[in-house]
Amino acid sequence: MAGNPRDKYCIVGVGETEYSRASGRTTRALGAEAIRNAMNDAGLTPDEVDGMLSYHGGDSTPSTSIQYDLGIRPNFYMDCSGGGSSTEALVGLAIGAIEAGMCDVVAVFRSMNGYSNVRIGGTGARASAPIGGLDLMKRPYGLISAVQQFAYTFTRHMAEYGVKSEDLAAIKAAHSNHASNNPKALMKHRVTVDDVMNSRWIIRPVAHLLDCCLETDNATCVIVTSAERAKDLKHKPVYIKGVQGRGTKPGGDFHYQHGPISRVAGHYIAPRIFDLAGVKHEDVDLTGCYDAFTYTVLLQFEDYGWCEKGEGKDYVTSGAINLGGRRPNNVSGGHLCEGYTHGMNMVIENVRQLRGTVDDYCPGATEGDHTFDYSEGGCRQVQDAKISMNMGWGTPAVGSSLIMGNVLS
Amino acid sequence: MPNYTYRGITLSIPENDSEYKGYFEAAGEGRLVVKKCSDCGLLRGEPGPGCPWCTSLNWEWQQVSGRGTIYSYQVVAHTVIPAFRDSTPFAIVLVELDEQRGQPTEFDGLRITGNLVDADFNMEKEASVGIGKRVEVAFQPVEDGFMLPQWKLIDEPDQGFTWSHEVPEA
Repeated sequence: MAGNPRDKYCIVGVGETEYSRASGRTTRALGAEAIRNAMNDAGLTPDEVDGMLSYHGGDSTPSTSIQYDLGIRPNFYMDCSGGGSSTEALVGLAIGAIEAGMCDVVAVFRSMNGYSNVRIGGTGARASAPIGGLDLMKRPYGLISAVQQFAYTFTRHMAEYGVKSEDLAAIKAAHSNHASNNPKALMKHRVTVDDVMNSRWIIRPVAHLLDCCLETDNATCVIVTSAERAKDLKHKPVYIKGVQGRGTKPGGDFHYQHGPISRVAGHYIAPRIFDLAGVKHEDVDLTGCYDAFTYTVLLQFEDYGWCEKGEGKDYVTSGAINLGGRRPNNVSGGHLCEGYTHGMNMVIENVRQLRGTVDDYCPGATEGDHTFDYSEGGCRQVQDAKISMNMGWGTPAVGSSLIMGNVLS
Repeated sequence: MPNYTYRGITLSIPENDSEYKGYFEAAGEGRLVVKKCSDCGLLRGEPGPGCPWCTSLNWEWQQVSGRGTIYSYQVVAHTVIPAFRDSTPFAIVLVELDEQRGQPTEFDGLRITGNLVDADFNMEKEASVGIGKRVEVAFQPVEDGFMLPQWKLIDEPDQGFTWSHEVPEA
């Protein structure tokens, strides 16, 4: 690949608002707070940030409003249409904007009242809005929410590979254990496989209530700049080793017309991202695998090659994805427990993990002093974490990936 | 076509809807149609403007048999659409039509969504749904000139890969 930017760019600042179900304010107010927190985290002043990138589904506030609120004057901004898997892709676009000479420091943000305003599950105003176009082929049959859009893929995979509800529940249990050591998490209590199995069904046979993520009010931000610029900033740089996305599988929105429908976009992204980053699977210390639903995690693990196709159920129940395991996943608790952000919180978590200063309950956490005692209410820092990988999910047909590290290749 | 209302949902099919208007006009006459490429002759399950196989923008509607096999499905235990609440649990099925199965590649098929319904267009019982079940299209009257394609089980042996989930006790 021409012009591989490996290690030439960094994430230098991360920030977010509280994760809640009643923010009581606008996406403009949330977005301003998250960007401000990320600038403070990086040690950047508003006049040093000259790029803004956001993604939204008609449910956010444009960069050009929030620039006023923080005194930023972008030389480059774009507000892109997009949901899950946009975070990683926009980190890549930020690199592109800097490479093109359009700006030097880019704040990538997502702001959403995902519970109190526009709910991804489709409840409220969305459920009764007039429809046209491709919704005509789905909505009259009761097919509306995100899990329903994905369910043909999930069910067919379950049928072909013998996945059980218990296997999926193990993912929720692992993420909830992680969240119990995250003071920011919206859902901090640990749940068991039985708790998931005993929660009410949403869509059979693929999702109980606790297999679904938490609709959340929040804003999140990561700041991207060159490795050269990062040298002067507050934290140990977290290098971007490679980024891909949003990549697709054949058929796009109509992926179920082609097959195998149990294959997701990660199948096509995996060879490109590992090649670009110069990283092998065994080099990766922790993952951030998009958990809109437990099933999105399992499918991506398979198609990114953490296990053979069909063996995702063994991978997620092996202990590998748990804190203390070989390669913990979604150490913040992810969308299932920390809060639903359309992917940004999993990137933020991995940045903090690679700095070694994750905000758990260890008394010296912010100075990097961790106990590595992963029992409830304790530590969630992964020991000696050097390389992380994020796998964003948009739909079965759409995904992104980001590999970061804290040492140069 | 004007707007139609079904289960409280307004379905808007304007005159310039070059994808779905013809599909629903045919359904209103009791015919299931797909688009056929006028150049390479291949059918497509999604009635888009271009041929995914040869990029031709020339197409015509082609009536199909309306018979197929359930390729995947979901059973809605909880719905966010108010007018479906009295119908849960109900099945939404992805039906693979008999025409052009496994063509032009082994994984391709013409796949259409609908509910699995009984002879009276009530939702079929959950235990009846499964991958591999044989089905036939049935047109559910909604308003004058508008019918919704749905799917009914037919008395034929299951076909190809078969699977069904365990239905929980009520």
